[in-house]
Amino acid sequence: MPAKLVVEDLTHHYPDEYTGESVHALEKINLEVQEGELITVVGPSGCGKSTLLNILAGLLPYREGLASVDGVKIDGPGSDRGVVFQEHAILPWRSVAKNIGHGLELRGMAKDEREARVKDFIELVGLTGFEDKYPHELSGGMKQRCAVARTLCADPVVMLMDEPFAAVDAQTRITLQEELNRIAIATKKTIIFITHAVDEAAFLGDRCFVFSARPGRLKAIVDINIPREKRIWADLSADDEFITKRDEILKLVREEVSVAVEE
Amino acid sequence: MSAIASVSIAVQRRFGRQNLRKFFLGSIPFVVMISLWHMNAVFDWLPPVFIPPIGEVWDAFFILQEDCKGFGAALALDQSCLMSTHILSSLGRVVLAAVIGLPFGIAFGVLAGMSRPISKILEPIGIFANSISGIAWIPLAIVWFGVGWMTTLFIMLNTIFWLMFFNSMMGVRGVARVYEQSVLTMGGSRLDVIRDVYLPGAMPSIITGMRMSMGFGWRALIAAEMIGGDSGLGFMIFSSAEEFKIEEVFLGVIIISIIFMATDKYLLAPLEKWTIHRWGLVWKPT
Repeated sequence: MPAKLVVEDLTHHYPDEYTGESVHALEKINLEVQEGELITVVGPSGCGKSTLLNILAGLLPYREGLASVDGVKIDGPGSDRGVVFQEHAILPWRSVAKNIGHGLELRGMAKDEREARVKDFIELVGLTGFEDKYPHELSGGMKQRCAVARTLCADPVVMLMDEPFAAVDAQTRITLQEELNRIAIATKKTIIFITHAVDEAAFLGDRCFVFSARPGRLKAIVDINIPREKRIWADLSADDEFITKRDEILKLVREEVSVAVEE
Repeated sequence: MSAIASVSIAVQRRFGRQNLRKFFLGSIPFVVMISLWHMNAVFDWLPPVFIPPIGEVWDAFFILQEDCKGFGAALALDQSCLMSTHILSSLGRVVLAAVIGLPFGIAFGVLAGMSRPISKILEPIGIFANSISGIAWIPLAIVWFGVGWMTTLFIMLNTIFWLMFFNSMMGVRGVARVYEQSVLTMGGSRLDVIRDVYLPGAMPSIITGMRMSMGFGWRALIAAEMIGGDSGLGFMIFSSAEEFKIEEVFLGVIIISIIFMATDKYLLAPLEKWTIHRWGLVWKPT
């Protein structure tokens, strides 16, 4: 079966915002993501993982190499690739329900059909009862649930998540991770999840892509063979496979952090 | 429970304690001012030619409207209905200038906020236009348009448009990029971004711009009517002063203030409440 998302020889430079110097962010990235896979991407800060996500989202033009979804070259943003941003990118001037239905509204779906779909996703992320609230009335965790539902409801082929749980407190983060796992089971979405937390990468990923320090290269791919149904923190924290893989990822990342520090 | 206490409780329930408090505190300076005004007449501090008695000012309203032949004549701005004609011509100009000036100011401001080239073209001319206060255009406007409607409208539009332009532009520039990206990555078009992100996102600035431009515009209008108008409240206070009808000057000033306060309270403040307060875009102490 052909891969859902393919990146070939992707190299990227960008001018630094302040100095104007060219920053070498990505170096010959090659990767494939299969349909229904949840891929986590980890690496030291500044390793270009967010750059990669922005390129995949179509928000950042690239010149060297190729990135494609279903064989179609990525050239600008599109509804086939949904993004969950690090900051809660839900519109403050739209209620929860209107935020979640926004993608369908942009597509011109009729109101009745849209509302039925929105209702399902509100239930999926556990926001029932908060449909008519505005984002400023929600907690951090609820905002991020709403953001996930907003992206999911537009039914993208691939969902790109850029450190989405980095800004919430530790307890909420654990809940959100388990919820995302449940959503991955329910929707079978292809998901690329960027994070700097090794625990999170091992908990969520079918495979984990470890990036090197700048310029970002794909340093290693770690397979995590744990069935989705078994991924619950209470069980997993003592699971051999989880511990082994988490430590392996941690070791790979720490090598890179020390490289970055020495530089 | 005494009757007074139960009335008091009913009033507090009806209007809310905070609102009543605000109303009473806010009216203190007015009460002081009106008391002093009345005491002036009682104790003869300053002669009525400088400060007329309250009653005379009150009567002036009805004297000016005396010859009016009914409601229809008032609405037709008939010269017999002096008072209502002055009020309605000022209001008419404000409404006309707002209907033209606000949408154009917002439209160009949003465009300039979105596009660097457009803002580079319009910003310098905007600063040039703002450097000369609205009323400084009056002499030139009189030369171009003569005394009357066009001159006052021109002065107002000049004030409203540029204020609205700058506020909308700044508002759009302040909208977080991530909202725009969020709409684009869901397949939204540029137009969708303008409608769903830039306009609502810039709303705090747009509403501030509306309040500012209507405030400055109203003041500019009064000034323009004094020199370049042939009717309106500004014209009224200026021509009355020339004829030493001091009570009409007072009346005009009071009506101008009441109209301005009412517009802000019943039109612009509710708009703010319905948009940016509901969306949580204003800082509120928790």
